[in-house]
Amino acid sequence: MLRRVFMSVAEKPCRSDQMTTKAPLVSAAGVAKATPNRRNTGPRRRSPALRKAFPYLLLAPAMAYLLVITLYPGLFAIYQSLFVVKFLTWEWTGLGNYSAILQDREFWAALGNTAIIGGISLTLQTAIALTIAYFAYRDPFIRGWRIVYLMPMLFMPSAVAFIWKLAFNDGRVISNLLMSVGLVDGNVDWLGNVWLARMTLIVADVWQWTPFLFIIFVAALQGQDQEIEEAARLDGASWPSIFWNISLPMMRPVIVVAVTLRGIDITTMFTNVFVMTQGTPGGATETMSYFIYRQGFRMFNFGYASAASVLMLILTIIIAQTVVKRAFHSGKK
Amino acid sequence: MAKYRKTRGESLLLRYIVLGGWALVCLLPILWFLSIGFRPRTEVITPVPIYWPTWSLDAWHLLMSDWPIAQYLRNSVIAVAGSVIIDLILAIPAAYALSRYEFKGREDIGFYILSTRMMAPAIVAVPIFFLFKTMGLLDSVWALMLIYAAINLSLVTWIIRSYMLDIPKELEDAARTDGAGDLRILWEIIIPACLPGIITAAVIAAIFAINEFLFTLLIASTANAYTMSVALANFTGGSDGIIYNAIALVSFIAFVPILILVILIQKHLSRGLTMGAVKG
Repeated sequence: MLRRVFMSVAEKPCRSDQMTTKAPLVSAAGVAKATPNRRNTGPRRRSPALRKAFPYLLLAPAMAYLLVITLYPGLFAIYQSLFVVKFLTWEWTGLGNYSAILQDREFWAALGNTAIIGGISLTLQTAIALTIAYFAYRDPFIRGWRIVYLMPMLFMPSAVAFIWKLAFNDGRVISNLLMSVGLVDGNVDWLGNVWLARMTLIVADVWQWTPFLFIIFVAALQGQDQEIEEAARLDGASWPSIFWNISLPMMRPVIVVAVTLRGIDITTMFTNVFVMTQGTPGGATETMSYFIYRQGFRMFNFGYASAASVLMLILTIIIAQTVVKRAFHSGKK
Repeated sequence: MAKYRKTRGESLLLRYIVLGGWALVCLLPILWFLSIGFRPRTEVITPVPIYWPTWSLDAWHLLMSDWPIAQYLRNSVIAVAGSVIIDLILAIPAAYALSRYEFKGREDIGFYILSTRMMAPAIVAVPIFFLFKTMGLLDSVWALMLIYAAINLSLVTWIIRSYMLDIPKELEDAARTDGAGDLRILWEIIIPACLPGIITAAVIAAIFAINEFLFTLLIASTANAYTMSVALANFTGGSDGIIYNAIALVSFIAFVPILILVILIQKHLSRGLTMGAVKG
């Protein structure tokens, strides 16, 4: 179906009669008859203009779709951020939302929380993933380990959030386990303390997403040249030194790409906050995504939420243009 | 040689402590959550946690009687499958252009496509909400399908592009000398040759779509459009609180097919997850 649509756009002007073997494709065309002596004359020619436009035509549908879904919302958010929106009325405020946001302590707190929770979580999962990947990749049971380690990632994020909400808060399982080993002597109120509440989010994120990094790191380790490592081993190098001086440097490009991708996803953290903490205590676990959601869809300050979205978008573009662009260039072979 | 054996032996013990330890960290919460799914509700939230519950199918009966679970499942399947089909239709030609042609702006267009993956859902949430509101698509599976397709399009394009880059040029040159056109080459040579990449992209896109939460939360407001992912968050019995045993059961119902899909593409997973940047 798709092929035929494209054919009619791009291929009509110069159809070689080699194509007659594919009956349906040529059915529309007397063109084949019109060029009978083109048989086996090498690469087909088409008009230079079309040849030039062809890749753009192939890209056009995807680009159009992405532009609608990114450019339009971007422009809409910029426009809406200039208004105070109350249900159906839009009241012009100029840059009022922005000046209010920049003085809004909740906004800066959300930005800080996203950085703190995301930073700690990303560091932990990178360290854990590297460690287990290093131990696992030459293990004879690697396929088994991989499936076991993968499992947390395959649960729906909303389900994982509930697993940990129940384990920490409602079901008191973690408290109970800590009590049984004598670390605490009563139920811990995980939502009553800034750092404990953040920790519950970090645990949930590390548990679910360490596999993402693990899978990538294992593949990278398996793909790299084993001989250098083996030579170092025979020279008597210890495994930590092999890891630090050989494996890690060789994996650098892969680590950069994987950590960048994970980092992007962590900054958008929403589901766990929504299910587990709702930003409590006192906004200490409110991430940027949750801030925008709360302003827009709980308090119906759509203009304000849009202004926050625009600021976050600017931040995203800056990060994308610097870190990510570089990461994806270094990651290419 | 003695030294060699010694380092080997040490790391072997340490290896199994580390690997086994992490395996327990992964498995114990899952097993415990599974046990939640098959216990009566009275044993879920107790002053002291119960680790060996009495067997019960309460959650299952509750799901069957009180919640339109089949409807949620149907919504998920329609929205996810539809979105993956849209993605493949849009991404395959785009990936073909990006991997096979020299043209002005190729790098920039490629990077633009990649960068849409970095946009936090929350950034576009408000505008998208208004967009679908004006289109009259709120609370509809079609809106979800469109939004899932948009979220995953960059990923699908880049994965397929990466696999297309691996196909040797000679293969298509031969076809070209035989007089085949560009689109015929795409259809008869490139697509079959990068089929593993296409399947990988489709599976990963499907998983992300199944998991999507924020947009679904905003767009869906009734069983008309609730997917499994968001329906979970609404398994609350009002004053009774959250119905954890039903949530657990539904999580596992969704988990099994995803596990099977992932095992099928295991070899390609690392490459898919990095959008083709890391070849596993």
